[in-house]
Amino acid sequence: MNKKIGLLFNGVWSQYTFAKAPKYVNIFELIYVYDITPKYLSQFDALIIPFQSNQKAIVEHKDAILSFLANGKKIFMEGDAAEELFDAKWEDRPVNNYWWVTNPDNPPIAVTDYSHPVYNGLMPRHACWHTHGVYTKVPQSAQIIQQTPNGEIITWQHDILGGTVLATTLDPIVEHGIQQITHLDNYTDKLIYWLCGVQPEGKFEFVLSDFGITV
Amino acid sequence: MLKAAVISNNIEGIENMFISNPKINYTLLEITANFNPDFADYDVLLVPNGSDNIALFKIRDKIAQFLNEGKVMFCFDGWFTNWVPGNKWIIDNNHKTIDIRYHVVNDKYKLFEGIDLDKFNFSHGISGWWACGFIETTQPESVLLADTWNRPIIIIDEHSTRGIMVLTASGPMADLLFGTNSEGQTSWDEIGRFYQKLVDFVVARNKIVIL
Repeated sequence: MNKKIGLLFNGVWSQYTFAKAPKYVNIFELIYVYDITPKYLSQFDALIIPFQSNQKAIVEHKDAILSFLANGKKIFMEGDAAEELFDAKWEDRPVNNYWWVTNPDNPPIAVTDYSHPVYNGLMPRHACWHTHGVYTKVPQSAQIIQQTPNGEIITWQHDILGGTVLATTLDPIVEHGIQQITHLDNYTDKLIYWLCGVQPEGKFEFVLSDFGITV
Repeated sequence: MLKAAVISNNIEGIENMFISNPKINYTLLEITANFNPDFADYDVLLVPNGSDNIALFKIRDKIAQFLNEGKVMFCFDGWFTNWVPGNKWIIDNNHKTIDIRYHVVNDKYKLFEGIDLDKFNFSHGISGWWACGFIETTQPESVLLADTWNRPIIIIDEHSTRGIMVLTASGPMADLLFGTNSEGQTSWDEIGRFYQKLVDFVVARNKIVIL
């Protein structure tokens, strides 16, 4: 099966371990950020721009990314983001990854639109762990899917040039590659199905031979 | 002052993690498609958490040469490519984070003296928050810190090269106190204090005079 989703890759270990996990390895291709070309991107159904990306290098390929969207495809963007890509302003905020111990009734996400296909059927604890910043500006008429208690935007979706961008400051891909949080299959597997129609199965595993590699 | 080269893959906020001060001057070397840095002017090579291990593999010979000149490297990342001499980073998910506790093994340079190890173990009551994975080392005497299952978490390797490698198993560290003493009491503050111990260790080793 041809790989369905391209994961823009900044050489970061958690991006790597996610894409190499046996349950995802046949779905994902790591696209090294310095190898991006329009032709290379065109073979995929969807792209993911993960947390800890080289936003500066990615913005240099803005035209290729917009061309990808113009073919009616989907892009998922997590964590932080470059303002120049999709006309949305991202701002940093302190990361609160301990609220569930110290203040379980006050999660960093107060509102979630569970009618969105990625979120439909998720329990609240599967739709919120911690966030990396907020959006203080999103494209006009973007669909707002998640917000903080004080109304800052965490997740939004917008149709751009005929394609669809889903952006969140959650970090499901990178955090799933880290495996300190063990429930993320719920979110990522619904996300992957929404992106490309393939339903991953099984448990997340690391493969020993993927470490200490020569490239 | 020490001169440190920080390898940067432009992740958000990296410019705030290493701010120059009287002890150590940081220069961010930004990775590009044809990354070919010159390390001649530097005493310390710094590889932060979340680095580009593809680019690092491509310059592995340059890194090895730098170390064999007797210089120092701090690597706070999970290196999945084979660019670190004598040491391999591995991660598995066979152990629960709730069971992770660290203990000091061989602290030749007293780096953990005055450091609250409990803050490495717990942040806001949560264990397993810091390092990810562990290190397989060819130099067992180099293990400074190990976990519940005796897996190396921090290595001070003086034998794989003619220099010194300070390696954490993807345990993030940065100059979080920006070269000053802080009364902050969070786990990140303690990590920052430990980082200052590392810097002071290299300053003393290199006989640097702080003006």
